[in-house]
Amino acid sequence: MSKIELENLSKSFGDLQAVDDVSVSIRDGELLCLLGPSGCGKSTTMRMISGLETPTSGRVSIGGEDVTDKSAYERTTSMVFQNWALFPYKSVLENVAFGLKMRGEGKQERREHAREMLTRVHMDGYEDHNPTELSGGQKQRVALARSLAVDPDVLLLDEPLSNLDKRLREEMEIELKEIHEEFEKTFVHVTHNQDEAFTLADRIGIMNEGNLVQVGEPSEVYHNPKNRFIEEFLGDTNFVSGEVSAVDGDGAVVETDFGATIEFPLAADEDLSQGTTVTVSLRPEFMSLDAASATDGGQKTAARADGNGSNTVVGTIDTVLYRGSTIRYFVETNGESMFVERSVTEEGELDEGDAVQVSWPAEEILVFRPDGTRVET
Amino acid sequence: MALERESVENALFKAGYGTIFAFMLVPLVIVIATSFSPSGNLDFPPAGFSLKWYSAFFDNIDWLRAFDNSLVIGAGTTVIATFLGTTAAFGLEARRDRWTQLLVPVVIMPLLIPPVILGVTLLVYFNEMGLRSSYVSIILAHTLWATPLVFFVMQSIFQRFDWELRDAGMDLGANPIRVFVHVVLPNVKSGIFVSALLAFIISLQEFVMALFLSSYGTRTIPVLAWTTLRQSLTPIVSVVSTFLILISLVGILLAALATNLDFIAKRL
Amino acid sequence: MSVTTRNSLLDRVWEPFRQQPGSRRALLLMAPLMVFEFFVFIAPFLMLLRISLSKQVRGLPYEAGTFTFEAYSEVLSSEFFHGLITYSFKLGIIATLLTVVLATFYAYAIWRSEGLTRTMLLFSVVLPLLTTLVIKTYAWVPLLAPRGTVNELLMAIGVLQSPIQLVPNTTGVIVGQVYIVFPYATLAVYSVLSTLDWEIVEAARDLGASRPRSFFEVVLPQAMPGVAVATVVSFAWSVGAYAAPGLLGAGSDRTFAIEVETQMLVGFNWPVATALSAIMLVLMFVSVVILYTALNSVGGDVSHGA
Repeated sequence: MSKIELENLSKSFGDLQAVDDVSVSIRDGELLCLLGPSGCGKSTTMRMISGLETPTSGRVSIGGEDVTDKSAYERTTSMVFQNWALFPYKSVLENVAFGLKMRGEGKQERREHAREMLTRVHMDGYEDHNPTELSGGQKQRVALARSLAVDPDVLLLDEPLSNLDKRLREEMEIELKEIHEEFEKTFVHVTHNQDEAFTLADRIGIMNEGNLVQVGEPSEVYHNPKNRFIEEFLGDTNFVSGEVSAVDGDGAVVETDFGATIEFPLAADEDLSQGTTVTVSLRPEFMSLDAASATDGGQKTAARADGNGSNTVVGTIDTVLYRGSTIRYFVETNGESMFVERSVTEEGELDEGDAVQVSWPAEEILVFRPDGTRVET
Repeated sequence: MALERESVENALFKAGYGTIFAFMLVPLVIVIATSFSPSGNLDFPPAGFSLKWYSAFFDNIDWLRAFDNSLVIGAGTTVIATFLGTTAAFGLEARRDRWTQLLVPVVIMPLLIPPVILGVTLLVYFNEMGLRSSYVSIILAHTLWATPLVFFVMQSIFQRFDWELRDAGMDLGANPIRVFVHVVLPNVKSGIFVSALLAFIISLQEFVMALFLSSYGTRTIPVLAWTTLRQSLTPIVSVVSTFLILISLVGILLAALATNLDFIAKRL
Repeated sequence: MSVTTRNSLLDRVWEPFRQQPGSRRALLLMAPLMVFEFFVFIAPFLMLLRISLSKQVRGLPYEAGTFTFEAYSEVLSSEFFHGLITYSFKLGIIATLLTVVLATFYAYAIWRSEGLTRTMLLFSVVLPLLTTLVIKTYAWVPLLAPRGTVNELLMAIGVLQSPIQLVPNTTGVIVGQVYIVFPYATLAVYSVLSTLDWEIVEAARDLGASRPRSFFEVVLPQAMPGVAVATVVSFAWSVGAYAAPGLLGAGSDRTFAIEVETQMLVGFNWPVATALSAIMLVLMFVSVVILYTALNSVGGDVSHGA
């Protein structure tokens, strides 16, 4: 019914290429998050779906119908704005009824309808308030009710949670997800917040510099980022660079600048030549940290006399940061600094100044070429 | 298709504001053009090009004296209005209650009263005070109009000013006047410059009150232009107008450089 | 001059204020303006009222020390003055209507535009605003004269067979007056519009409102405070119009302001001139209050519609 097809969609503002050849198929009823840093073109893409922006080239179709030449007020999409854009001179009820009024619904009917929508977003009792009297979360709900009242095929959300504080944002994330399930509509949600995208999305589309870099389910995007930009954008990680020193049939070895060697398996059809400079991402949540004295056992193999070996390195704890449920340790090793995260519940207390050994599983390593593309492992 | 209708709407919208744009500027362009008239008529399009009305202007002692009068009155208005408006805006920033808020409508009021009524009122008053036809009377009348503009420009400048800087200055041991001179003033001086410039232009261009309050010896450029026009339409008035328009133009450019046009426009 | 001596000078200036509490100091800063407004604005109006209650006398502006309502009864009972007052109000209403509609449109266009276009549009109102009334009026003479630009143009493209009388005529007066007040009205509306969030228009469009509809539904109600100010300014100045009817009007285009000037400077009949001014002030004040309340109730009311 309301699946959205974007075909080679581009938009430029003068010299600025805001959106560059974006093609994606958004499934009926799914919640797609467009995620990316500010200025990546995610909002412009959404505004082209809504009709508020006309594409320079490419086509938009909704529910199988080509709507490229239709203007915003004719499309069956409805948008929730970043600042909610509630009409300040109208009451909450009038705001929610506005779209119905534009569709020519009778006064009694639309008021009733609007009341019902307000009840569904738990805002009953606020009908006669002025939007300026409401809190951020309440404005958010009214904006949602106003958009849902016109029974759109597609609901577009343009960073609607970015003006809320952290606690309220997390509450609203859950509420939004419930609303999505209840109304069974296609949602496109734009955000620059990774946590928000991973909490909400059925699928995430990551954008950078006008391009749609990767579309996939959250776990896929998380475990299988397509390039270095995504890996960097999705969260804190340790990037270490080094040179490929050996390649054989099913694996490769990288010699890093700070003394450790990194070994990883290589996909069968992957072509990586010796001498290539690569960047390796070591995610802090997959790394393990042990006191240097207790180096026996576990997976730490081939330890050399200095403690540095394959997929393992020794160093000294420089700083310890308590971050709520996790602890982040900054480890100094041969002049390089890397950080490792451990759950607070993990055993073995470590302090600043302790000598430690850091190691990581070969299968969780992500390797990128100088141009940012991923080396399949 | 709706987009076609929208492009028609767009074209109409552009044509609409384009027409008004022309309506606003064409008359001024024509005035300037007629100042180069070779004949005694105000023809547009001009029949030729001549500077003879310019030399006529510079040969005429009446016009030159009126020019001096305008400068004296403009300078006086600028000084008084800038002082009154700036101090009051600064004071209002520090203290807001029902009484001081009353000052705002009183300050605006002169702008909302037809200038003829204001002119009559002030003529009657200054006559009683023995100040009739003096520079002082015209300067005070113009100050009545220029002060509100200074006041509102300065008020918004002070509102945008980061008062923590002042607190920091006080905290570092400077007394309020030192803080004003060393901390506040450098940050608001462009605002004061723009206000003073506006005050000067307002005084230079004001006509109705000056008409009532001036005499032969103190009449300003607009008053003399009006008196001349009532007798005959001559391109010499276009010459004078060209000068006045150019002065405003330069003033606007300077003010726009010091702040920006949008800021000034919202406070006029 | 070193910083130290400048500072010690500043310290000396500060000395007398040292004992004053902060709010008193603020009041001292406002005092010069308060004194000025009292002596140059409020006191003169009291004087105006006093003189309007004086006896008229030949050879002198007024007879000092007398008290009579003669001037008021003369103005209020004369057909001639009634005509002037009616004409002034008619001119005020027509010029205001035209100005406010056009100015609201233009302000909206400025708000919508950006970059160079916005600067040019703003410039086109700021320059005439800072140009003297005399030029603004006079500029229309070569344009609207029987052999002027507009007539020649209309005849050249065949709209007219022979020139029409635009100046001196009521048409010329209205054009001139609209031109005079237009910049003020535009900026009054624009300064309110510029505080609005463009997103609300997009939201309205997104919810199915066409462009004109979204303007009337969500922009205009919010712009009402600006429109109200524009209306009041245009109205007050147009009712009190002096330059436009004086230069562009025919003999019948006589406003009260022209009459006041004549009575004052030519006829030396101060009691009548001041009484007429006072009566007009009261009439205008009453109409402005009615207008303002009416306009604000249109915009500010939350409960109507839906």
